[in-house]
Amino acid sequence: MSEHRGSIAEAVAGIIGELSGPEAVRLAEPHGWNEPAWRALAEAAFTTVAVPEEHGGSGGDIADACEVLTAVGRFAAAVPVAENCLLAGWALSSAGLALPGGPVTMAVGHPADTAVLRGNTASWRLNARLHRVPWARQATHIALLADLEEVPHVVLVPHADAEIQPGSNLAGEARDGVVVDAVVPHAVPAPAGIDTGTLRLRGALGRAAAMSGALARINELTLAYTGTRQQFGRTIDRFQAVQRHIVRIAEHANAAAIAVEAAAANARPLPDVFDVAAAKIVCGEASGIVAAAAHQAHGAIGMTKEYELGQLTRRLWSWRDEFGTEALWSELLGEQLAAAGAAALWPRISTGRVVGNE
Amino acid sequence: MRFATTVLTPAELELRAQVRDFLRTELPPEHKPGLGMAAEHDPEFSCKLAAAGWVGMAIPPKYGGRGRSVVDRFIVTEELLSAGAPIGAHFVADRQTAPVLLRYGSEAQREYFLPRICAGECWFSLGMSEPDSGSDLASVRTTARQVDGGWLVNGTKVWTSGAHKNHYFAVLCRTSPADGDRHEGLSQLIVDLSAAGVRISPIHFLNGAHHFNEVSLTDVFVPDGMVLGQLGSGWQQVTSELSYERAGPDRFLSVFTTFRHYLAELAQPPSPQAARAIGSLAAQFWTIRQLSLSVARALDEGRAMRAEPALVKDIGTRFEQRAIELLRSVAETELDPESDSMFARLLAEAVLTGPSFTLRGGTTEILRSVARKGLRG
Ligand SMILES: Cc1cc2nc3c(=O)[nH]c(=O)nc-3n(C[C@H](O)[C@H](O)[C@H](O)COP(=O)(O)OP(=O)(O)OC[C@H]3O[C@@H](n4cnc5c(N)ncnc54)[C@H](O)[C@@H]3O)c2cc1C
Repeated sequence: MSEHRGSIAEAVAGIIGELSGPEAVRLAEPHGWNEPAWRALAEAAFTTVAVPEEHGGSGGDIADACEVLTAVGRFAAAVPVAENCLLAGWALSSAGLALPGGPVTMAVGHPADTAVLRGNTASWRLNARLHRVPWARQATHIALLADLEEVPHVVLVPHADAEIQPGSNLAGEARDGVVVDAVVPHAVPAPAGIDTGTLRLRGALGRAAAMSGALARINELTLAYTGTRQQFGRTIDRFQAVQRHIVRIAEHANAAAIAVEAAAANARPLPDVFDVAAAKIVCGEASGIVAAAAHQAHGAIGMTKEYELGQLTRRLWSWRDEFGTEALWSELLGEQLAAAGAAALWPRISTGRVVGNE
Repeated sequence: MRFATTVLTPAELELRAQVRDFLRTELPPEHKPGLGMAAEHDPEFSCKLAAAGWVGMAIPPKYGGRGRSVVDRFIVTEELLSAGAPIGAHFVADRQTAPVLLRYGSEAQREYFLPRICAGECWFSLGMSEPDSGSDLASVRTTARQVDGGWLVNGTKVWTSGAHKNHYFAVLCRTSPADGDRHEGLSQLIVDLSAAGVRISPIHFLNGAHHFNEVSLTDVFVPDGMVLGQLGSGWQQVTSELSYERAGPDRFLSVFTTFRHYLAELAQPPSPQAARAIGSLAAQFWTIRQLSLSVARALDEGRAMRAEPALVKDIGTRFEQRAIELLRSVAETELDPESDSMFARLLAEAVLTGPSFTLRGGTTEILRSVARKGLRG
């Protein structure tokens, strides 16, 4: 990735603008994903951003990947980019494994998951029960962490060895149960720093980036709609009560965007817990507020399956819960801040973006 | 609409370190922090701060300032507010009057007032609101009638913060009748608060504090040289002044000290509810601060900001009020302004003064219509 910031979002928009337009999103939903959009993104090498080139990736960093994901969110594109780039791509390349053609998804450790590895380099056998794995159905491989006598290993399971129990989120995106009882080709001891905590952190950043894109799009949609829809002989944005919704949406969309921008910029080389937690909390809180205000401002048209707003709000209502709700991240962040003490509070809050562009 | 993240430069970080050192020395550990801009009025503190070069710091050196950037001023201000420093004496002059004088004032006014403001010795109030004129500021009834060498001012101003302690106030008044456009014919006059005919009476705040006043003006003589800016341009001047002061750190840090003391007095380890409140507040403080800082950076870079400052003020002040409720919900304490607990005292004050956050400097409702117009472009 050598593109300058901002141009990645533009390039991605150029690729999926039509492939993931409102009508395409509607047609893709019954399939659990948007295959044409995925193929086009993969062809342009946007599905392996932040994965080193020597491991089959397109290079670039986490901030680049977040820019792709913001555009993915904006177009409500049902594609496993976060899973392929930020999760599986990272875990596999860190463990010295090449990223297969993909899409590759990754199970990051649902509380109810179990995954036990037996055997040795000659032959590995995996027993796993995984929950809510994003796009497991469509993935060529599923990556996960499994314990071999309490030592976590990065394991790669080919699709054929997994039994899928289909599930989905509120936007019809595949979130599947996976059962594995099979001999698996690849297992490598997880390098230091690769664990469910760091994976969840990356997943949360990826979803926050997508949410910020969806929020920005809802802001545009609402401005446009309220500026043209007429009632009582004038456009509804002339009414103060409607203006309140418009302004509230703009505020939260911008807060979400700046939080993600800072967290992504600072994630070079690695994401920071405070930054990502703050971004996921702010995006999660914004999602509920913005969705409610935007639906109110749109009236009944917003409640129809065809209209773009619902494609975005159903994703926000799902993504805010994936990789940790605002409540979960708030609690984790609060515990850390409480342990660090009152004197450290202001210095931390007043540390915004610290990493420049180049 | 563009709020961009910004990285502080090494020089800016150095400035911040200096301010932190200064505050460590100047504020004793038992210091009771103030709530944002409503902090104590402490002339000695203002003078020391000025001696360090941090009052009127964005004013050019030839008028006694340091010619520093908006971001530098932001850094100093956020440090002062987050520590609850006693900035009450100089804050309005520094934030509002000095930039207005620099922009619209006569050379004589700049030479007279700016060095005194930058020394922390000359304090201003704002004379905009009147009994019948709040959000609809163009309806002010205070008048100035031309006489030999100046003006005679008559009328009543209300909610004038600090008028009983400050030296001057900038009075918005009518200098010619409003036939046709009522935004025409308004002017700003600098009125000496100790002049003959000025009567200042306290209006006690909800918490009993004497913070603001009614100021009645009866045939107060104001010399020609004290007309601020163009005669008849008062409306444009006041509206630009209000937008300038809108998005600063005083719009989201009023209850930061309350939050910090909550953390300081917290029983460890925190309950899940307490941890959740702390995390959520910290995330919002972190985010809103960056929105506010981005406006400061944009001003330095000469980028026009329309809706952004109003959005920041609205999001910041409403957050402050939610923060009070969230802290209350996890504090499990009955509020007592005389409590032994610093946190409980600050929270009591925050509850009592919180409603004013979304009124002062233009109400939420008015801000939203400013913001909406800017969003539409
Ligand atoms: C702590 C504090 C300090 C202050 N200090 C000063 C000071 O130093 N100098 C000074 O001049 N003033 C000062 N003020 C006054 C402040 O600027 C006014 O309170 C503010 O402009 C609102 O005016 P008002 O109180 O008369 O309310 P009103 O304008 O009467 O408003 C009452 C309600 O009606 C709403 N409303 C009014 N018009 C509209 C509309 N067009 N659309 C929708 N809603 C509307 C308002 O939003 C509000 O909710 C201070 C106020 C406070 C609380």
